Amino acid sequence: MKKTAIAAAITLSALNISVASAETVKVGMLLPYSGVYAALGNEIEAGFDLGLKEFGAGLDIEIVKEDSEADPGKALAKARKLVLQDKVDVMSGIVSSAVAGALRDFVHGAKVPLMITNAGNDSVTGASCSPYISRFSFSNSQINRPMGQWMYDQGIRKVFAMAPDYTAGHEMIDSFKQTFEAAGGQVIGTEYTPFRKTKDFGPYLAKAKTSGADAVFTFYAGGEAISFVKQYDSFGLKADLPLYGSGFLTSPLYVKAEGSAAVGVKTVLHYVPTIDSEVNNKFVQEFQALHEGRAPSEFAVAGYDAAHALALAIKGGANDRASIASSISKVSFTGPRGAVEIDPATNNIVQPLYVYETVANGEALTQKVLAQLPTERDPASGCSM
Amino acid sequence: MFYQTSLRSFTLILFALGSIYAAFTAEYFGLEILTEILILAMVVLALDLVAGFGGMVSLCHGALAGVGAYSFAVLGTKFGLDPFISMLIAALVTGVISWIIGAVCSKTHGIYFIMATLAFGQMAYSFVFESSYLGGDNGMAGISRLDMSALGIDLFDARQFALLCLAVLIIAYLFSWRILTSGLGRSLVGLMHNEKRSRALGQNIVQIKAHVFALSGLILGIAGALSAQHIMFISPNLLAWTHSGEALVIVILGGLGTLIGPIIGAAAFVLLKHEISNYTDHWHLVVGAILIIVVMSGARGIYGEIENRLAQKRRKSLVASDVELNKDR
Amino acid sequence: MDLGFWILQLLNALQLSMLLFLLSVGLTVIFGLMHFVNLAHGALYAFGAYVAASVASAMGYWAGVLVAPFAVAVLGLVLYQFLIKRMRSSGPMAQVLVTFGLIFALLDITRIVWGDLALALDVPELLSGRIAIGSVEYPVYRFFVMAVGLTALVVLHLTLTKTQIGAMIRAGVDNDKMAACLGINVERLFFIVFCVGCALAGVAGAVAAPLLSVVPEMGLDILIPTLIVIVIGGLGSLKGAIAGSLIYGFVQTFGAVFAPQLASVMIYVLLAGVLVTRPSGLFPAKGG
Repeated sequence: MKKTAIAAAITLSALNISVASAETVKVGMLLPYSGVYAALGNEIEAGFDLGLKEFGAGLDIEIVKEDSEADPGKALAKARKLVLQDKVDVMSGIVSSAVAGALRDFVHGAKVPLMITNAGNDSVTGASCSPYISRFSFSNSQINRPMGQWMYDQGIRKVFAMAPDYTAGHEMIDSFKQTFEAAGGQVIGTEYTPFRKTKDFGPYLAKAKTSGADAVFTFYAGGEAISFVKQYDSFGLKADLPLYGSGFLTSPLYVKAEGSAAVGVKTVLHYVPTIDSEVNNKFVQEFQALHEGRAPSEFAVAGYDAAHALALAIKGGANDRASIASSISKVSFTGPRGAVEIDPATNNIVQPLYVYETVANGEALTQKVLAQLPTERDPASGCSM
Repeated sequence: MFYQTSLRSFTLILFALGSIYAAFTAEYFGLEILTEILILAMVVLALDLVAGFGGMVSLCHGALAGVGAYSFAVLGTKFGLDPFISMLIAALVTGVISWIIGAVCSKTHGIYFIMATLAFGQMAYSFVFESSYLGGDNGMAGISRLDMSALGIDLFDARQFALLCLAVLIIAYLFSWRILTSGLGRSLVGLMHNEKRSRALGQNIVQIKAHVFALSGLILGIAGALSAQHIMFISPNLLAWTHSGEALVIVILGGLGTLIGPIIGAAAFVLLKHEISNYTDHWHLVVGAILIIVVMSGARGIYGEIENRLAQKRRKSLVASDVELNKDR
Repeated sequence: MDLGFWILQLLNALQLSMLLFLLSVGLTVIFGLMHFVNLAHGALYAFGAYVAASVASAMGYWAGVLVAPFAVAVLGLVLYQFLIKRMRSSGPMAQVLVTFGLIFALLDITRIVWGDLALALDVPELLSGRIAIGSVEYPVYRFFVMAVGLTALVVLHLTLTKTQIGAMIRAGVDNDKMAACLGINVERLFFIVFCVGCALAGVAGAVAAPLLSVVPEMGLDILIPTLIVIVIGGLGSLKGAIAGSLIYGFVQTFGAVFAPQLASVMIYVLLAGVLVTRPSGLFPAKGG
């Protein structure tokens, strides 16, 4: 199912191009299919496949999948295999930022376009940017930058920040801190908790409570987010100390596990399934039809938009590494998130951001969009291409 | 007691020939797998040295190889030292740290020893993860390979690098053989069988254990440096305890206490893992099941089982011929 | 930081200790009696959490918490009959490795049966909310966890010291061959202890689930803390389990308060320190 190339069922049988011809565009999907990030890997792939189905009909695309295991060493070996042995024209995927870091020099040197569908480390489209690496998800700083001003505009003046102690955690908090303090606010305390080793946030929540802040701003994802949100609620902090953060805290992918604890949490993210636009409604409906009524998350939309961009590039005539790389850098279209484009200065996606509140909808949870923040473009920050 | 039997030599030569064959016939990914097997084989060889012959089951061997990798990387990228010198220093650093761990843990036994080594491994992991100098969770890139152009060898070619790893593995094996047949090695095995007796004989338990652990560490340092050169990128992931757990599994899978067994085990494990993951994402299940079966059928491992069966056959035939000889008495 | 803050942290430490105690006591008694470290204990804990979450989504929290220990005990029964019993005569390393293989197998089975996405288990109505202690408010549910742990401690202590079966178990831990000579059915004792140990892991999983998240790797994540607890405390004794749990709980909690960066290393330094000075842990069942 993995190594053998799967001809994505988008080739119309009439064209009958099952044999890989010179026109076939080979895509190498490098995602974690096992391990801690397997849920994200599968979600991104679901979005990608739907995107190809939607926009790649009639195109001759062949996908080769490899499991990155979210391990930089193993992912690099598989990347080399995809590039040197399978001779893919373009690579897509990458959930873990560490893996992105490991792949960067290789991809750049081999001149193979890489479309990143999750890894958020700033450096990949910053100091370590490359004309061959484009990102369709987000950068850590990008998501949180506008939240500083927004929270200040809500009347919040003192914030206690918390995040896991690794690069993403630091980048997310730093970016928020910069704009919040520039607006006139004050981050009166910051706690970085041991990454993936903290199960009990009790000690840290106690610190937050006694800090005297108006609100708490955090970034957590996955299992840590679930534990954090539930424990935050159990300590009854939400009433006096409202919880804000990066949208990964209450991502549609796992907010259900948080239950009523997530209600009232306000976060900022580049996508929620309740964005009211024709394009998004269609996307959500199609996704739900394929996935037992489950709404798509921000991870799925990254895969979806990447597939869309690739299809656009191929339709525009690109069919090999060099042409795909240059075409991808120039794409712009309207997707479920809104109007998006790739910024040729950094190759990072330029996208609107949404502040949303998690609300109860009967038994289920849904996202109520509170504000659509203007399109956020990353500054060059060390990138020169 | 360690004897380099003809079967073991035969298996080693067979393995070497197989590797050379694979090196020349495999495509790119095949060479990647081969190199992965060879470097892993060095780590499990080092582990068998202490676990199979010293009874010291260590859960920090993966982390120690990681220490070697990081030492090599730092010396190369931060201090600009020549890769060859960096490798030697990295091996020494790992050896010294291993000596300390071996000495400190020498008084513990069984599960306590395992946990103690785990503790040190985790300390190393945490240290590397938190250290921004070492790149933290982003890891370190820009690692270069040895320069053997003077000998006309280009190590940036995957095939030649794989052959280098094979050569180093064989040297490591011969080195371990030498250790085990020396006075130190024999003392170690005696210690494993009966520590009280060794102490009664006046042997310095702490020193014996520490020395062997250190020698094992030298091998790990080289393996780590090679691993860093292979991927040309390192991250704290290298020091995760699960790698040490995997190494232990491989040693058992191959055959504890045979020295060549774990090397075969490494090949079997890596190949198996890759084959299975072609069919399913749930290769953990298959590996777990296989491990259970192997352990339950005598825990002798693949090579150990072969050795055992052949030994039984020989014994039977010896008994038979003995009966033959005595028949007419 | 006022008194309220310290009370809060003290309670946090106690709660974490009790949770770890529930997990470690099963593991340590199994070792004490059968001389075998069941590394799959973490996987059993995860299984308990998953079963509790599944049952709870259909029949409510209390049903989940009651069914989980039984389900895990049944799983333990199956594992014992088909795996553990056959390994009784092999060395300890073989037993450790079999359970290591079990971890892998159970991890993927969990992924296959329940999928990769996290499951939800909510705190029941009765236990949600907070109790005010002076100036601080502490979640009722965390008190519940402490209560469950304490109850387990008391029940086990009474069983071991005051009942005949407890005496038999203690005899078995001291010297199983001698106990067998005296007519105690040691095999059956092992079986009972093993199943009870598994049930305790199930209770720990069910009770922890509303606090932490129910994800496939939760078993692996909790394994190392559990092992640290029983090694520091000393294998085979109840006293060791409670001592180890308290030490771990307090070091983790107050470490987080004073120096979060060091918190992750501190416990390992402590572990190494204990093992160097007391190679068999603090209160092992069978003397140093």
